[in-house]
Amino acid sequence: MAAQPSPSDRREAARERAFTAASLVAAVALVATIALFLVQLLITSRTSRAAFGLPFLWHSEWNPVTEKFGALPMIVGTLVTGFGALLISTPFALGIAIFLADYAGRKVAEPIKYLIGLLGGLPSVIFGLWGLFVLVPIVGKFEVWFGKLVGSEALVASGTTGVGLLAAILLLAIMILPFSASLILESLLVVPTELKEGALALGATKWDMIQNVELPYVRKSTVGALVLSLGRALGETMAVTMVIGNGMKMPTTLFDPANTLASAIANQFLEATSPVYIGSLIQLALILFVIAIIINVLARVILRRGIQQ
Amino acid sequence: MKNKRHVSILLTLLAIVALVASGCSPQGGSTTVKELSGAGATFPYPLYSKMFDTYASATGVRVNYNSIGSGGGIKALTDKTVDFGASDAFLTDQEEAAMGAPVLHIPTCIGAVVLSYNLDSTPALKLDGTVLAGIFLGKVVKWNDPVISALNPGVSLPDLAITVVHRSDGSGTTSIFTSYLAAISPTWKSTVGAGKSVSWPTGVGGKGNDGVAGMISQTKGSIGYIELVYAVQSGMPFASLKNASGSFVAPSLASSAAAAAVSLPNDLRVVIVNSPGTDAYPISAFTWILVYKEQKYASRTLAQAQALKKLLAWVLIDGQSVNEGMSYAKLPAPAVTKALALVDSMTYGGTAIP
Repeated sequence: MAAQPSPSDRREAARERAFTAASLVAAVALVATIALFLVQLLITSRTSRAAFGLPFLWHSEWNPVTEKFGALPMIVGTLVTGFGALLISTPFALGIAIFLADYAGRKVAEPIKYLIGLLGGLPSVIFGLWGLFVLVPIVGKFEVWFGKLVGSEALVASGTTGVGLLAAILLLAIMILPFSASLILESLLVVPTELKEGALALGATKWDMIQNVELPYVRKSTVGALVLSLGRALGETMAVTMVIGNGMKMPTTLFDPANTLASAIANQFLEATSPVYIGSLIQLALILFVIAIIINVLARVILRRGIQQ
Repeated sequence: MKNKRHVSILLTLLAIVALVASGCSPQGGSTTVKELSGAGATFPYPLYSKMFDTYASATGVRVNYNSIGSGGGIKALTDKTVDFGASDAFLTDQEEAAMGAPVLHIPTCIGAVVLSYNLDSTPALKLDGTVLAGIFLGKVVKWNDPVISALNPGVSLPDLAITVVHRSDGSGTTSIFTSYLAAISPTWKSTVGAGKSVSWPTGVGGKGNDGVAGMISQTKGSIGYIELVYAVQSGMPFASLKNASGSFVAPSLASSAAAAAVSLPNDLRVVIVNSPGTDAYPISAFTWILVYKEQKYASRTLAQAQALKKLLAWVLIDGQSVNEGMSYAKLPAPAVTKALALVDSMTYGGTAIP
């Protein structure tokens, strides 16, 4: 004889179904939002593609007066600042994370972790102000010193401003540091204690253990952390705008004023009125979107290869 | 019960949303209009907030003004989501065509763009358009260049590189400044041109007046352009400029107003840079409120059109007394007369608005 489902069981089942449906809606909504986003970007940027086509990607003139637009300087600016920042901040992020996970006692680690969290939560405009008033003059002095060193009159002359690619790279490196450091730290903290203690019991020094047990264990999540940080650096707008000099020409040295895709959009969108101009700015957003996708896919490929080895 | 509480919170939130939404709706249904809305230029925003504040306490009609930039204001008016737009540059023919109907340009005040600089001991600098064009084209690169010294006898200028600072964001200020350079220098006109955003031959960009001012104040040997209001408020030094009649004029409320005291076209759609008046500061310009000439569009009522017309007339007559206290130059009488004629030419369904 089959058991009659009690009213409370039936309520339970209904609640279960409602919850499943709600989660499904949330998941579908996310995918739909991204898809709509892409479609919207594609539609609103079509004036630019109609006018310039694919050469938009490698033309380096950006002239709102004659309405000739090319994205290359901004693509270069975005990639150089993003990867430059990642290159500089990664060793520091690893060092901070390893120190906090393996060397620092609780009394030292906790306040440092708190500060990292604080740094990560600072609004980017504050980084930008600090960058403009503190970092930029230092970069300017370095530029003058470097210009004298290599005998470049132009560098010495332009060094008085200090704004440019290098200032943006340094600022971004500092901005993404708390981000990547805390993500790497999270993954170091979940390395099983048995593995670590096993290595130490076998006579490994702390450095041996870190090198041979911890780091291989967290390789995957570290790459993930770095990709996330890179994503943040590529999309950062306000702070970059304040220190990069906002030049729309192709930069030739690290000291030149340049621009990134995000910063160019933020600067110019408000007052852009002609359809081709607006379309070209949205095309920049589309390029940034595609760059973000490519980097994520690349990271996945690297990860898969790393696991197979 | 817990679920019930959730439902009640949700309902409260919905009620709040509904309330806010109904409050925002411009259609009151009644014949008296209590609210007007506008959007556009950031430059006159402090002036407009003060003016509309005064207007609200005098008449009870509230005016919401969103300073979202001239481009945004033009777009909002094109989309017919506001009663008026506001812009620092008059509409290009292309923009006017996109509007689909004739648009009136009602000037509200006069702004000036000044050249600010950072030199040791801050000498009072004199410049002219040709030298400025040379500097911003990247052809005059040192402060002790003979063309600058020639304009500044008795001033010792350093052997220092000139760093050009310009706006990185599109702006009416850039439009006014580049219009001036284009009016003076054929080379500038043919290689760079004029607009809210141009392809700069040299220099670094700062976002907004504060971005440019910040860059100037911390860079020795820099020169850049900012709005007079901003320069006065932040105590930045600025140069006197040689005007079209050959005299050096310092930017001020009086000298920028003098730039508009010339014969103006009836539609007031005019750039008054390089004005011929003897006391005129050469980089001066109107900022405008933009409205459709024919007010019967979308679902607009006659009452709305009347309220808008009343507001514009007030801005041109009583409102002008607000200008100088806020560091914006007043419109000279001939400009007010022409602007009032434009306001009177507004129609509703083809007939004049009573």
